[in-house]
Amino acid sequence: MANPFSLLNGPEDLGRGPVFWGGAAIVVALFLAVPLYLSDFAAYNVSYYLLNIPMALGLCLLWGYCGVLSFGQVAYFGIAGYAYGVIAGNFVGHSWGPMLGSLGGLVMAAIVAAVFGYFVFFARVQIWILPILTLVLTLLLETFLGQTAGYQWRVGVVQLGGYNGMTGIPAFQIGDFVFSGYSFFYLALGLALVCYLACRMLVNSRHGKVMLAIREDALRTEMLGYDIRVRQWLVFVLAALLAALSGLLYVQWGNYITPSQVGLLSAALPVIWVAVGGREKLLAVVIGTYALNWLNYQLSSSGNQYALVIIGALLVIVMVFFPRGLVVSLADLAGRRSAPSEASTARVRG
Amino acid sequence: MTEAILSIDGLKKQFGGVVATDNVTLDVAAGDLQCIIGPNGAGKSTFFALLCGLHELDGGGIVFKGKDITRMLPSRRVREGLGLTFQTNRVFGSLSVRQNLEIPLASIRGERGILAEDRYRMALERFDLDRQDETQAANIPHHKRQWLEIAMVLAGGPDLLLLDEPTAGMAPEETGNTAAVLRDLNRTGLTILVVEHDMAFVRKIARRVTVLHQGRVFADGTIDEVTARQDVRDIYLGRR
Repeated sequence: MANPFSLLNGPEDLGRGPVFWGGAAIVVALFLAVPLYLSDFAAYNVSYYLLNIPMALGLCLLWGYCGVLSFGQVAYFGIAGYAYGVIAGNFVGHSWGPMLGSLGGLVMAAIVAAVFGYFVFFARVQIWILPILTLVLTLLLETFLGQTAGYQWRVGVVQLGGYNGMTGIPAFQIGDFVFSGYSFFYLALGLALVCYLACRMLVNSRHGKVMLAIREDALRTEMLGYDIRVRQWLVFVLAALLAALSGLLYVQWGNYITPSQVGLLSAALPVIWVAVGGREKLLAVVIGTYALNWLNYQLSSSGNQYALVIIGALLVIVMVFFPRGLVVSLADLAGRRSAPSEASTARVRG
Repeated sequence: MTEAILSIDGLKKQFGGVVATDNVTLDVAAGDLQCIIGPNGAGKSTFFALLCGLHELDGGGIVFKGKDITRMLPSRRVREGLGLTFQTNRVFGSLSVRQNLEIPLASIRGERGILAEDRYRMALERFDLDRQDETQAANIPHHKRQWLEIAMVLAGGPDLLLLDEPTAGMAPEETGNTAAVLRDLNRTGLTILVVEHDMAFVRKIARRVTVLHQGRVFADGTIDEVTARQDVRDIYLGRR
């Protein structure tokens, strides 16, 4: 077993060494110091940019590292969100309700992903058809949830609500401590950080290398002794769990969810965040997801009707000029610039 | 007679109306270095794919190291000790040489003991491969990519090495080195089965040669016995 720091500092993500970690510490410190320069309300908004990071990291593992594009990560986001709403909503007044709801959301999403993934990967469905299958799953979910407006679509005291959505979803709490404002911001920040570091350790581990091998050539990997069905299935379930985590944070942040959260438009967004940042590197995806969520929020909250058109146009521009993603391309450029200077230093020393 | 490491009995495979492998029965003795030859379309690569479980069989059975592997998953067969290099080179092109060598299951090699470790080290040294090399595998010369794939397979510590045209596209000198390394690996007791149609290369390495033609075993024996036969020459010249 490799030591944790060497896994964190490994070569399969952007950034290594003391300068990188020093810079990262400064960025994290700036986030931690948010109460010093942002209001409680503004910090709550920043939470929104952070809460999608786990879902994007999951898609990055699945698509960027394992070569399996899923267009339906929002299905697990939605399943977890709705499950949380139903469970926590039925136990209002009990301090353990939100905790049980969170656990229920994660378990439900994992079960759906495990069953769906089992049929897809163990039946050896061609990998190119997966984006369509996953998209169909989330659209089915949207259609189902959309017709739950009637009074009969009630679980305990919670109404599913059809296209009006589920409202009044309880905030997250541990014991009697309810997360809101700054405390919710710290929760979202902490989870984003933990997920990122854990994913970074995963991609630098032996499993991470096998994921890369599967992306490159699944048959060759299988003929090196790996059961690729199991590997792809496990990454698929992990990605679903990360999407579910984002779904939980979303409903705990906004206290509502509607079927449009699992619709076509929402399904496309994680793919855009991951592609624009650069799907091959976790850090690029974190930066891309944060920046695009910030941009989308700024455009929408200023009443701009064209927020999604602008985001879509950005995707097209980035894909044409930086097919590997904006952040990955910039990091490459920076790497190439520093490489010749190192070489010339070596010549001078020589 | 040395014990057979691989026993193939009545192997059959049909693709639509085309019979690719027709009742192939063959034993490979432990420690042998055997070549499978035959003209294009003789069913050589299909035969390897069937051994590895990459196609479903229409009939017949495969026993490897005394165990029936006929219905086993490809990855399980590799863990049992089969190692395959493909006809078209399949190293991980966009990964570095280091990553390519890190991916195979070193743990299995460890379980197979010191001999497997020696073979792997020998391949790295004789094929001039560096475990720390960060060069992208797509950017190394063709013959080194071929060698890298053999080394990757040896990294998993196989007991039977299946090589599908390992010298395709190599210059004579590189072919010579490949032959020498394979002979030396075989001397350590490693069983090697090679599909090849470069007869000069076959002559350099093979102890025993099996000729496949139209999916059937057409001839079997030493290289001199087989090449002396007029009917074998005829199929190579397309007269049959």
